[in-house]
Amino acid sequence: MNLAETLKLALASIMAHKLRSFLTLLGMIIGMTAFMVVLSLLQGFSAYVDEKIAGIGSSSFTVQRFNFEDFKDTDSIAAAQRRNKELTFDELDFIKERAQLVSYIGAKAGNTSRDVRYGTETLAEVSITGAEPVIGIIDNIDVEYGRYFTESENNNSMRVAFVGSDISTKLFPQGDALGNEIMISGIPYRIIGIQVAKGTVFGQPRDNFVQLPIKTFGANFGGLKWQRAPYFVVMAKDGVKMADAVDEVRTLMRIKRKLPTGEKDNFGIVTPDAISGLIGSFTRAFSIVILFVPGIALMVGAIVIMNIMLVAVTERTKEIGIRKSLGARQADILRQFLFESGLLSAIGGLMGLILAFVLGIIITKFVFPTKIPWWAAVIAISVSAAVGILAGLFPAWKAAKLDPIEALRAD
Amino acid sequence: MYRFMENENGNSEPAFQPQTSTGEGLITMKNIWKTYQMGVEELHALRDVTFRVNKGEYLAIIGPSGSGKSTLMNLIGCLDSPSKGEYWINGNLVSKMTDDELAHIRNKEIGFVFQTFNLLARATALHNVELPLIYAGMRAGERNEKAQAALASVELGDRVGHKPNELSGGQRQRVAIARALVNHPSILLADEPTGALDSKTSVEIMALFEKLHAEGNTIIVVTHEHEVAERAHRVITIRDGQIEKDEKIR
Repeated sequence: MNLAETLKLALASIMAHKLRSFLTLLGMIIGMTAFMVVLSLLQGFSAYVDEKIAGIGSSSFTVQRFNFEDFKDTDSIAAAQRRNKELTFDELDFIKERAQLVSYIGAKAGNTSRDVRYGTETLAEVSITGAEPVIGIIDNIDVEYGRYFTESENNNSMRVAFVGSDISTKLFPQGDALGNEIMISGIPYRIIGIQVAKGTVFGQPRDNFVQLPIKTFGANFGGLKWQRAPYFVVMAKDGVKMADAVDEVRTLMRIKRKLPTGEKDNFGIVTPDAISGLIGSFTRAFSIVILFVPGIALMVGAIVIMNIMLVAVTERTKEIGIRKSLGARQADILRQFLFESGLLSAIGGLMGLILAFVLGIIITKFVFPTKIPWWAAVIAISVSAAVGILAGLFPAWKAAKLDPIEALRAD
Repeated sequence: MYRFMENENGNSEPAFQPQTSTGEGLITMKNIWKTYQMGVEELHALRDVTFRVNKGEYLAIIGPSGSGKSTLMNLIGCLDSPSKGEYWINGNLVSKMTDDELAHIRNKEIGFVFQTFNLLARATALHNVELPLIYAGMRAGERNEKAQAALASVELGDRVGHKPNELSGGQRQRVAIARALVNHPSILLADEPTGALDSKTSVEIMALFEKLHAEGNTIIVVTHEHEVAERAHRVITIRDGQIEKDEKIR
């Protein structure tokens, strides 16, 4: 009996009991749907992270006071606080003058939270940062109205501000933000540019900020030290591998800080890869836990299929007897039932996949972007078929081993 | 004319002599025993059965229930293996075969006709007839042709697409006969073929058997009905697991 023949037979058996097949598959469908929805959320999440977080100036990296590893426990945090000095503009200049593989390097500072006022309106807890004008290029800042800072505005610590779109829309509903002055801690700043709206990432608004020239920021917010210490954003030259530029900057920093060979860096360099790697390791651990639950549903689905196949074998004992009397070998019977349970399960997997796909579209539309990778779909179908075959193994073996005489005698 | 006699006493019967007819031996059973273990007791369903069937014979096996005739039928049909003895069918030593080899022999050499027809309820007449050919590994096109022809030969050429529940009892048995013959087996083995049919239909089916015999098929009918046995050309009577009588009646 060839494969096409067996497949046709399996399909006919499944279709002969449509309702029963469907009910049998419910567990499988729900399990597969849950599995795929969770997986698509995770995939969507990581694609989202790559795009929205790591993707920000993905050709740039930062030099900062601490390394990721410094935060692993309180001891290493304390040690790093002693060892790692704040970055300085001297160091920035040192790198700027000597680096060959770097196209731009600029300093940023801050993230201080302050209330921003215009007239009687107040926006609470707005993020205030300082940046060198070159950051406009490095961060590839999208200016909707106005412009970014100029060197002279920075050098003269002028009270000018580049703001997120929330500031302009909330404080200036008339749309006259550009050129007007906002008040931060009693000091007025003239708005010279507004960024294109960026939306939110994980509920964090990204349009609720005021950026000042870094020297202005230093002068008016208590100096560029402690949490307001500068960090450098570096962009590698076109055609230069980021890793090479990172190496160069690290070497220059070590030279500048006179670190002997073998001693650990007393500063940190963070690349987009490191960020997505960090997030990736989170999502992986998270995935294992969160996929475990639908995994159990799949297992229950498999047990239900095994159960119904056992019922089917009992019900069709007579049929098995007839087939055997007509010359079906054990392998023919075995294959017939294995195909049936495999196909049944694969249909369940497919239905689950379709359902997950539909749910994914709905979730993407209303809640959160999701993504079912094509490989996951292929794996889902194969896994469900494999699960079905596995679940069918015992029932099929029972069927194949039936004594033809006994089987023919069954009702 | 043969008169079937139920042998009440069996004491005066002469011991069975193996028939030694001339011609090609299609089936040979030599000293066949079938023993079932019932706890500590051994139950001999067949004891030392020996006979031969030649090609083209029309044989009836008759006996009361519990006589061992069903066991003998299962052995002839290769559904079971003897405990002892040799069974040859068409040159194959069946008694030592594995389950899968037996399946192959059933497919090639035996055409079963059952009392309750044993058709697959969900399948059409055509598909039912195709089944032995499917297990023989025949391609779809050729299979279809042969099955159509087999159904036409039992005058069901216009019922190929019908399912068993859309056919009368006689028609169902004719589908079963078509299925039995479609792979050109060595023997047509019928187990109470008219047991589930009314007398008029029974006559039709028996007439069909005679026609098939006339066309050269070897037929073995296992029955307890005298009317059915009388149609055969040779009758073997089984009692208590042994051959009591083996007579040529026409």
